[in-house]
This record gives sequence, C-alpha cells and structure tokens, in this order.
Amino acid sequence: MTPQELKNSILQLAIQGKLVEQRPEEGTAEELYRQIQAEKQALIKAGKIKKEKPLPEITEDEKPFDIPESWKWVRLGSVFCLEMGQSPDGSSVSETANGIEFHQGKVFFGKKYLEQSPQKTSAPTKIVEPNSVLLCVRAPVGKVNIATRKICIGRGLCSVFPITGMSADFVYYLLATFETTFIRQATGTTFVAITGEVVKNQPIPLPPLSEQKRIVAKIEELLPLIDRYEKAWSRLEDFNKRFPGDMQRSILQMAIRGKLVEQRPEEGTGEELYRQIQKEKQALIKSGKIKKEKPLPEITEDEIPFDIPDSWKWVRWGELSQSIQYGFSAPARQNGRIKMVRISDIQDGSVAWDTVPYCEIAENDIDTYLLQPNDILFARTGGTVGKSYLVQEVPEEAIYAGYLIRTRYSSLLDPEYLKCFMGSQLYWNQLRNGTIATAQPNCNGKTLAKMILPLPPLAEQKRIVVKLEELLPLCERLK
Amino acid sequence: MANLSGFVKRLRDIMRNDAGINGDAQRIEQIAWMLFLKVYDQKERDWEWDDENYVSIIPDECRWANWAHDDRTGRAMTGDRLLDFVNNTLFPTLKKLPVDASMPIKKAIVQTTFADANNYMKDGVLLRQVINVIDDLDLSDYEESHAFAEIYESILKELQSAGSAGEFYTPRAVTEFMAKMIDPKIGERMADFACGTGGFITSWLKELKKKVVTTDDDAEYSRSIYGIEKKQFPYMLCITNMLLHDLDVPQVFHDNSLLKDVLDYTDDDRFDVILMNPPYGGSEKADVKNHFPADLASSETADLFMSVIMYRLKRNGRAAVILPDGFLFGTDNAKINIKKKLLSEYNLHTVIRMPGSVFSPYTSITTNILFFDRTGPTEKTWFYRLDMPEGYKHFSKTKPMKLEHFAPALEWWNDRRPLEKDGFDKAKCFTAKQLSEELGYNFDQCGFPHEEEEILSPVDLIRRYEEERASLNAEIDRVLEEIKAKLGVKEL
Repeated sequence: MTPQELKNSILQLAIQGKLVEQRPEEGTAEELYRQIQAEKQALIKAGKIKKEKPLPEITEDEKPFDIPESWKWVRLGSVFCLEMGQSPDGSSVSETANGIEFHQGKVFFGKKYLEQSPQKTSAPTKIVEPNSVLLCVRAPVGKVNIATRKICIGRGLCSVFPITGMSADFVYYLLATFETTFIRQATGTTFVAITGEVVKNQPIPLPPLSEQKRIVAKIEELLPLIDRYEKAWSRLEDFNKRFPGDMQRSILQMAIRGKLVEQRPEEGTGEELYRQIQKEKQALIKSGKIKKEKPLPEITEDEIPFDIPDSWKWVRWGELSQSIQYGFSAPARQNGRIKMVRISDIQDGSVAWDTVPYCEIAENDIDTYLLQPNDILFARTGGTVGKSYLVQEVPEEAIYAGYLIRTRYSSLLDPEYLKCFMGSQLYWNQLRNGTIATAQPNCNGKTLAKMILPLPPLAEQKRIVVKLEELLPLCERLK
Repeated sequence: MANLSGFVKRLRDIMRNDAGINGDAQRIEQIAWMLFLKVYDQKERDWEWDDENYVSIIPDECRWANWAHDDRTGRAMTGDRLLDFVNNTLFPTLKKLPVDASMPIKKAIVQTTFADANNYMKDGVLLRQVINVIDDLDLSDYEESHAFAEIYESILKELQSAGSAGEFYTPRAVTEFMAKMIDPKIGERMADFACGTGGFITSWLKELKKKVVTTDDDAEYSRSIYGIEKKQFPYMLCITNMLLHDLDVPQVFHDNSLLKDVLDYTDDDRFDVILMNPPYGGSEKADVKNHFPADLASSETADLFMSVIMYRLKRNGRAAVILPDGFLFGTDNAKINIKKKLLSEYNLHTVIRMPGSVFSPYTSITTNILFFDRTGPTEKTWFYRLDMPEGYKHFSKTKPMKLEHFAPALEWWNDRRPLEKDGFDKAKCFTAKQLSEELGYNFDQCGFPHEEEEILSPVDLIRRYEEERASLNAEIDRVLEEIKAKLGVKEL
C-alpha cells in the first residue's frame, strides 16, 4: 500500500460519512443547504455575487456512492461561490508590477497552502478573497490549494469560496477526493482542461456543518500518522531496491576474497600458477609473439585492501596479461574490409553484430586488432568508461575500435573468474584511483597494467565460477 | 626453555601433512585438546605436590605423562598403535569419566572438556610429532608458562581468520579497553555469559592483578570470575586459557545461558560486573523465548542476552557489552522494549562506536560498546565515534587493532565534550527523553558517515537487510495500529 493510497482511502472514507459518526443533534445537511441558499440570496441582493441559474436536480445515476441519511447530494456550484479565473492583460503582469499577487496555475502551490508568487499584475481581472480554495482547471487538472491572502487568478484556476461557516479546510479535503473525477472529465488535446460548467455541476456529498468540522479534525489527527507511514514505507522501498544489487556486489566480493568456496591444497597455489604464467610469457617473448615489457613495481602493503587465503597471491594485471592493446582508429562505414566493433555496439554484455559497421584497414594491420574469443575489451572513454566485456564468440572476422582496449592472457586463467573481478568493487576502486565513488574512472593501458587482483589456483577459479553461476541468478530473482 | 617462538609454526608445518585436518578451525581444535591435557598434567603435578592425598580423575594409562611423554627410548607409542590408543581408549575413557554434582570443578572439567572433543588427525606418526612438540613445553617454569600464555593467545587470535570459528574470539585490544574502563576492584565478581575463549575473563584478570596486594586479595582474585560457554570447542579453549592463567578452579561452565527463566534469577545469580560480546544471529530453538517475558522475547540472540545481562546485574553493578549496529537502529517491538527497560531502569552512560574492520576477516559489520550501570535510570547518554587511526584504511590480519588505538577515546572519556568531524557528529550527548521520544529509541547516533561503503559478506548483508526490514515493518505496523485505533471500529 503506497502512502498515497492510504491517504486516499482515508479521505474517501471521510466523504462517504464513514470516518466519524453522525450526530442527530447537529442537524441535517438539508438544513445547512437552505441556510446556504438564503445567504446566497442575500449576497446577490447586496451585489456581492452574480445571480445564478438554478442547477438541475441530481439524478440517482449521478450519485457515485451512498451517503448517510443526514447528508445531501448537492452540486458544487450551489453550495459554494465559484469564480473561474481570467487572465489579465499580458503587459500588466511582471515581477515588478505595482499590483496584486498573480497565480496562473499550480506553479506556486504548496502542500496545502499557496506559496508566494513573485508575479504581480497591475490590472487584475478576477480577485479572490483569502480563505478561497483554488482548483486547477488546466493540466494538471484537479490539484487544490488554499489561498490565505487576496490574489488574482488566471484562466488555469477556479476559486471555490466557502460560506455559511463552512471551512476552507473542509473544501480542500473534499475537492482532493474528486481529483480523478475531474481529470476524467477533462477535454482538449493541446490544452487539457475542465470547464466552469463541469466544476459547477459536479455532484458532491454535503454533511451538516458541525460534522464537517469533526471530519476535518479527524483527518488532521491522522495526517501525521500517514507521514510516519510514508517515511517508513519509502525507506523500505529504498532498501528493497538496493538489496539485490548489494547482494550481487557482496557475492562477487566474497568470490575474489576466497570466501565463496573452500581452498583445497591439492589444487596448488596462486604462486605456482603465477610462475607457470611467467614461464609461458617468457617463451612467448622469446619467440617474438609478444612484446617484452618494463617490470611493474612490487605490490606494497598499503595497496592491499583485504586479506586473501594463504594459497592465493596478489598480482598485477600487467604481470598476467600477454598484451594490453588500444584499438584501431578508423571511420565507421557501411561497407569495408572488415567489421569493427565499437563501444556502442556492446549492449547488455553482448555484441549486437547487426549494428557493427565495417571499416578500411591495411591487410597487415588486421592481425594486431583481430578479436578472438576470451579477449577482454575495456571502454577507455565515454559514458561507460571502465566497463569490460568478455568476448565469447566472434561469428565473423572483426577488429575493435580505437576507444576500446583489448587484453589477452594465458589460457591458465579462467575468463569467467576474470570477468568476476572486473565486476568487483576492487576493480572499480582502482580505476577511480581510490578516490570517492562518484569520481570519473580512469581507464587506460597504464591503469590496467598496474591493477592488482587476487589470484587463486586455476581449479579454484573454475569452482568459484560454478558457484557464482548458481548464486547470481538467485540475486536476479530478488529484483 | 624450549624455543617458543617457532612453536605455532612447527605445529602448523607438521599438521599440514595430515589428511584429516581440514582448515584452520580443525587444526586449532586438534591442538586444543592436546594442550589441555598437557596443561592439566602440569597442574596435577602441582596439586599432587600440595596434597599427598590427591587422586587424579584420569585413569593412569590415560594420563598425559604416561601415554604422551616420549622419553626417547623408543618405547613411546607412535603410528597406528598411537592412533588406536587415542581413538579407542583415550577419548572414550575421558568422555565417560564419572562426574557428579559433588565432584570438585578441577576434576570435573576433564570430562566436560572432552565431552564433544574430536581427534581429527589420521596419521599416527605425525600425531606423535605434534605431541612431542607440545610435550617439550616446560610449563613448570614460571617464565615459560607465562610466555606460553601469550603464545596461546596468538593461537586463539588465529580463530579470527578461521571462518565461522571467529565468532568465539573478541580482539584483545577491545577486551582490554573494556576491562580498563570498567575498572575492576578487589572483591568484585565479574561474569561473561558467552565467554568464548575467555578474552574478557583474562583481560579482567590482567587489570585486577595490578590491584592485588595481600594474599587475601589473591584469593578474591581467583574467585572473581564466572563464565558460561555453550559450544564445546571454545569451552575447551577457555578452560585451558584459565589453567594457563593459574586459575585452578575456573568457574567456567559448559552450558546455555539462555535456557533459564530470567524471572527466576535471585541476588545470588547477580554480578558486580558483566563484560560480554554476545553472539548475534545465533540459532536457538524457538522455545528459548519462553524463558523471557513476552515483551522482551526476540529471535535475535543478542537481544536475549541483553535481557539476561539486565536481570543478572547487581544493584549498583556495571556492564560493558558489544552489540551490532542492528541493536542500535533496530526498532522492532522486542528491541524497543529492551531499550525502554535499559533507559528507564539502568544508566546507559556511554556508547562507543567502533569502525567496521575490528573483527575482520571474520565479519566486517560495525559494532559498538554499550557501557551502563544499575545505579538508576538514564539521564543522559554520550555517544562517541572511534575513528580509524591515522595510516590505517582497515584492520587486517597483518595490521590488527591495538589497545593504543583506543587512546583518543580514553582521553575523551574523562573530559567529555561534543565533537564534530567533517560536518558529522563525532561525540554528542543526548538526554534519555531525546532518545526515547524524539528519536524513537534509534540509538544510531554519531555513526560512521558512509563514504566508502564497506561491502558486507552476504550473510551479514542479509542479516542487516532483515533487521532493517523488521524494524521498518514494525514501525509500519505500529502506525497502522494507531490509525486503526483512531478510525474506531470502522474498516479501511
């Protein structure tokens, strides 16, 4: 139940006469109605209001619900003094005009009371008295506010003025329950609005005067409770929204901290794996397949954010990877030598191959930029900077564009484990260089090479991946 | 004096090769029962020396000196023969030792310690090697036994990184801070109703020792502690810890503190001081709640322990308890009632908020120390946030928390003033009225501004989510009840 639903429900109860009990000693609405008519006649005689055409009787069909015996269905125009707004001459309206406060629509509506409008008009058309209730007749139709001072209203507003001792508060709550009813009757395409006729003729339930006051008092007793409800409900909503994401992050973090699955000594250590990978790299360098790189600095105590199992090892990506390579810069073409994957072609973790354009490229350059399964691509700029993508299949020959960085690595590493790392807080923190969470990530070859990650033995990497595949779909279900 | 410095490493190196030991917790459990027997053996010699009529409860062939000691003549059991002895003679005998209510504690503890103990090692030769390393300890030597108590502490500390076994261990920097602030006095009795490995007890003893002058004082010193531990493994560790601290008659019992009706406690069950770190999110059978008044009954063990503490604290007694953030911000019905009772019948004078990684890697949830006494209702409560010390991003195995990190809190303690840091409250005083009426018993004040959200483990995350959800649902229920009341008998 949303707080709004709760509030609406209580207001609905109020105007059906079910919020407070009826008290015969307070008289009937019929009596009140006659008093109102008498006062109206007096006002007409005194020239305070215009003579009005009598409004038609209300038919049974027009009565949307049952009301207590002591109440009466009446038309809005017959029990209140209605005044449709009229826009003053444009030139007379400004913030510095010498005149009266002017409101066109709900721009300066508060929660219940009208706030100050900076606009003034020196040639007011329709002026309303303090204690009038303002109803929006132009979109958003149906909003209400109480005006506590004399103001001028434009075409977007209608003023409903209570007489015969009725209170603006009562009118305010009453009209609030008719918001949807008014909206349903609104017409027009460019300017959705309700007409004065619609407002005048709207059937409303009228309780006796004292009961009106008791209804208002009861509603206002309940309002603070509704506020408390809203506070708790919104916080709960927030928690529920955040929880699946938090769960996912927590599980990924557990995975790279070595707490998701147990360590098994027979699987070896991260140190052994690291040495195997270095040997592999040396062989590739010797045979000219990859470039020799400057050695990276030792990982210092300060850089290490958390403890990992003894059988694991902290390593830098540059030590594990065989290459970290920027993409090929060329304009995208409808036709060309070869397909070129750009950042924008990667959506939701997969490549939309039918949108991938072609480009021109020299034959002997292709090999350098050719994409292979298990390559990992990083966006080095743009809105998704730092986001990574594991190349799973390459249905047709393709290279990758300039704003992507591609890294290749030994087959002794599990690509899905690496993908897990690339989704972790540790990865993102390093891209942001340990600065605050809203800082722009900095993704370039240097930062990638320097990046540290925990290295478990290969068999354990695989077991972690299996476990993640079990757990992560469950997080999805929480959403 | 044996080479103590390599003690732990030597044991680890030998045990690594035994297929029966899976993980740190089992390794420590394995060492624990052997250490217990070795330490107990030394104690028995002292007792025999003092009392000619001393008779051991352990049958001769099972006494450490007889089966474990290796005189290097080749007669000592090893290999399969040793394994067979341990599994089929030693353990069954010790588990079934006849113990009745009249038996003195120092004899009864052998059976209670071994009741659920396990021998995990599968290699008799390696077992012999381990036994010899342990037997080499000369605990009759005061220096060595004192130094060994420290080594023992370091073994206990390993529990913090041994997965779920970390729940039994509270970092000693914290226990020492709390013992210091509680300021023990000779003649007082302290209790820890979930004593784990005995950290609060040993820290209390360390502080109290400084005040011992006469032999009478010494006698009071030895009688000043009381502990209850539900789980076998930490119970064994605690008993051994007590023996190493020369408490020959440790008043530490293998029991469940939550199984007695709190309303049945009398003054004899009450203590001058209570120091505790109750377990959170523990699993207890649902009928445990029956031992508590309905308004205080909760499924959260930490809440139940708070009630036990309140019912077992003597008039004018004082307590320091570690509780998670969930207790501070939680507003489900049980928590509100517990906090209401706390503020109206006890004087909650200080709440120290500790940073997240104090218990790392066991858990990274943030915890707090609540200091209160039973001198009267709370008038005001001071909150103080202990920030991470300079140069530390978080505590870890290699950079653990130390007592000196509490220095700012100590300094502030005697000269309390409101403090602010980077626009967030760091130390602030609230009246009981503010806490109850304005803040609705939400004690989450002067907390850590969450700039970098520490990622909790999934279990802790789920627990926190469930706490928040329960609190918010409880609040929502309360509001709806009030609304229904105001609507009278009408229907929504």
